[in-house]
Amino acid sequence: MATIRAYYDDTIRTFGNVLFAVSLLGVWGVLTLIGVIVDQGKSPSVYLASYPAPIARAIVRLGFDNIYHSPAYIAIIGLILISLTVCTFKRVIPARLPPLRPVKIDKIPLNGSIAVRGSESDVRERVETFFRKRGWAIRKREFGGVEWSFADKHNWARRGVLIAHLGFVIIAAGTTLYWARGFSGEAPVVTGQTIEIPQTGTLIHLNDFKYRITPILTKAGMVYQPTDYVSHVTVTPKDGTPRNMTVRVNHPIDVGGTLYYQASYGFAMTFRVAHNGVTIPALSQTVLQEGESLDLPGGSSSLIYDRFVPTVDKRTGEPAADPRVNDPAVIVTVAQSGISEGSAMVPLGKTVDIGQGWTITPQRYTLYSGFQYRYDPGIPLVGIGSVVLLVGLIVSFYFLPARLYVRVDPAPAGCTVGIAATTVKGYDIYAGAFAELLRDLQTAMEPPGPQPHPRTAEAYQA
Amino acid sequence: MNGKMSADELLMIVAIASYIFGALALLVYFFSREEWLKNLGAPLAIVGCVAQFAQLFVRWDLTGVWPLLNLYGSLSLFAAMSVAIFIGFAWRYKLWFAGGFVLALAAIFLAYGVTWNEGTMPPVPSLQSYWAKVHVPIVVSSYAAFLVAFVFSCIYLVKYYAERKIALSPRTGVAVSSSVAAMAPPAAMMQRVAAIDETPALAAAAEAGNPLAIWLQSLPSLAQLDVVVYRAVAIGLPLISLGIITGAAWAKEAWGAYWQWDPKETAALCTWIVYLAYMHLHTRNAWRGLRTNWLSFLGFFLVIFTYLGVNIWISGLHSYKV
Ligand code: HEM
Repeated sequence: MATIRAYYDDTIRTFGNVLFAVSLLGVWGVLTLIGVIVDQGKSPSVYLASYPAPIARAIVRLGFDNIYHSPAYIAIIGLILISLTVCTFKRVIPARLPPLRPVKIDKIPLNGSIAVRGSESDVRERVETFFRKRGWAIRKREFGGVEWSFADKHNWARRGVLIAHLGFVIIAAGTTLYWARGFSGEAPVVTGQTIEIPQTGTLIHLNDFKYRITPILTKAGMVYQPTDYVSHVTVTPKDGTPRNMTVRVNHPIDVGGTLYYQASYGFAMTFRVAHNGVTIPALSQTVLQEGESLDLPGGSSSLIYDRFVPTVDKRTGEPAADPRVNDPAVIVTVAQSGISEGSAMVPLGKTVDIGQGWTITPQRYTLYSGFQYRYDPGIPLVGIGSVVLLVGLIVSFYFLPARLYVRVDPAPAGCTVGIAATTVKGYDIYAGAFAELLRDLQTAMEPPGPQPHPRTAEAYQA
Repeated sequence: MNGKMSADELLMIVAIASYIFGALALLVYFFSREEWLKNLGAPLAIVGCVAQFAQLFVRWDLTGVWPLLNLYGSLSLFAAMSVAIFIGFAWRYKLWFAGGFVLALAAIFLAYGVTWNEGTMPPVPSLQSYWAKVHVPIVVSSYAAFLVAFVFSCIYLVKYYAERKIALSPRTGVAVSSSVAAMAPPAAMMQRVAAIDETPALAAAAEAGNPLAIWLQSLPSLAQLDVVVYRAVAIGLPLISLGIITGAAWAKEAWGAYWQWDPKETAALCTWIVYLAYMHLHTRNAWRGLRTNWLSFLGFFLVIFTYLGVNIWISGLHSYKV
């Protein structure tokens, strides 16, 4: 039992240590940076081609190719959340919300004392009035027969850290909610066709897709800038009535809480496929999207439709930069048992022999629109968390909670007012303001003339 | 049209020239403390900054396209905001002596930005959003605040190591040995001594006529420099947080998910983590000062990587090519 207790205490001590927390943040930063530098989600061959073999192997084995979803990454965020929680309760709350207690004034680096003529109660009254007028909240306590005045500025802002930490936790809860209950996917739809979203049963029919490309002559040559993508769709939610809607980039549509986005577009193709001069109707009616393939019957050959070339450069015979359809062709690959036997660029309408009696003719292209859909029940939480986090940061950084410890002691010619100041961000940040405050207090309490604490006066004439 | 175009170019020339001459004046002021150089450099900084904002505005008016959607416009705002934030600090805390470095960096970034001027282009569909008008200025301003923090961290580090050199120098006699003791670990003690009393060795050396020590004494104390860096980071961190949040809101609208692990947003997260670490270390007495200033110094290289490196070396949703 005692061992468990000791173990528990050790763990809490570790997780409550700010340097341990900062180390966790450091590891989080390094893992994040690795993901920026190493291309994510590629196949092992891509890494082998880009890096020396040992590094490529390390990338794949250590999961750096999909680092943000790796157990290590998720674990570090988990540890940060634990550390944040422990630190908040064990360290932040006690440090930021300390009880009122007496202090040894001259042991606090920001301190000063001034001599004031008058009775103790009168001086105390005047000092308190001085601070109240300047927006300090005064509280009085008696400790061991000595009366102390505590003056606080921005005391409420001591909770800024707690708010910031809470914001981070709320964001984490929001993202977890998406993992637990949300979904997303991609849905390419060919013009004139309908697809069904598996998770919701919603039907999406693409009536048409249009894009606008603007050619611009720049200093670096002609640039073809896409300036609009727009899909006109008919959406039928499960058990609902069909509705005509328009999807544009930056203007998603909302169907029963699931959002649909304009993500990409492409050219779907049909090929006339013939064997020994005889057209095969089933294959010839198949609509292929870029990257899809047709298996040719009676063997292990397949035809892969790699991509559409909207314009072929007449001079070079190579694909041109112009993405508008002027003089189109397709790039196809013939594969045997999945292994490429060769690729070719074939203009639309031209018949080519691909061996073993097979010929293909790229016939017609039809535009398809790529939609991305997403249901994310965590978004409201992430939004609220973001606002809370920002409020916490602003409160923490722009409102400096300071506390003055004021003690009035009788002296031969009146009283001595001893003042010490603490803030939640150390002493240096308040040094200039404290020196000014003391000067003003001295002026307000005159006569008699001020007698600044020598150390304070030297050190804080900032 | 031609008249307006030349106004655009003229303003850019005024800005670059003001920064270059202002930088020269304030750099000399940094070392010589001749008041007239400050009185020359400070107005030049203001003129350059105003000319830059005017240039961005004229460009927007002229082309009808939000001018911050390419590196040219964005770097231009970066330079302008760096100078603007610096002017705010210099005004408030009397820090004109550091202006030469800020203006020199602004001039370099601005000149580099001009090399990315490709003329006017209509924005690609994903950039046609009101979020572009919100997100880009916020993020760029956060980078600018980190630039100001970087400059003061550099000055902090130079002062710290120069003071140390003086403290360790055998010529400064008795004061040295006490100072060496103060410089020795534990670091917490060293920081307090440096922060509150400055090094006694520095004062002694200055009194003995050491020119380096006299010059170092004309700079604010290490504690004051550290507070300036903290204040600059305290502007940059909420801004980059807001920048990431507005970027996420925009991504949600344009790409379907508020977070896609795109290299740019991920690099920005990394920068956020570094400055968050800075803030946490700054709450510890032992780490406040030397180490936090090293972090702010190194952090700025990550800012530049996030800002320029990712665009140039790594393609992604933010490379604006699609
Ligand atoms: C690894 C997890 C974290 C731990 C253990 C932790 C712990 C702490 C501690 C101990 C303090 C200092 C309190 C004091 O001395 O009074 C602090 C301050 C602070 N924390 Fe965190 N924190 C963590 C993560 C975060 C995150 C993710 C945020 C961002 C929202 C954040 C925002 C802040 C702010 C704004 C301050 C105040 C800094 C200042 O006043 O200068 N913390 N944190």
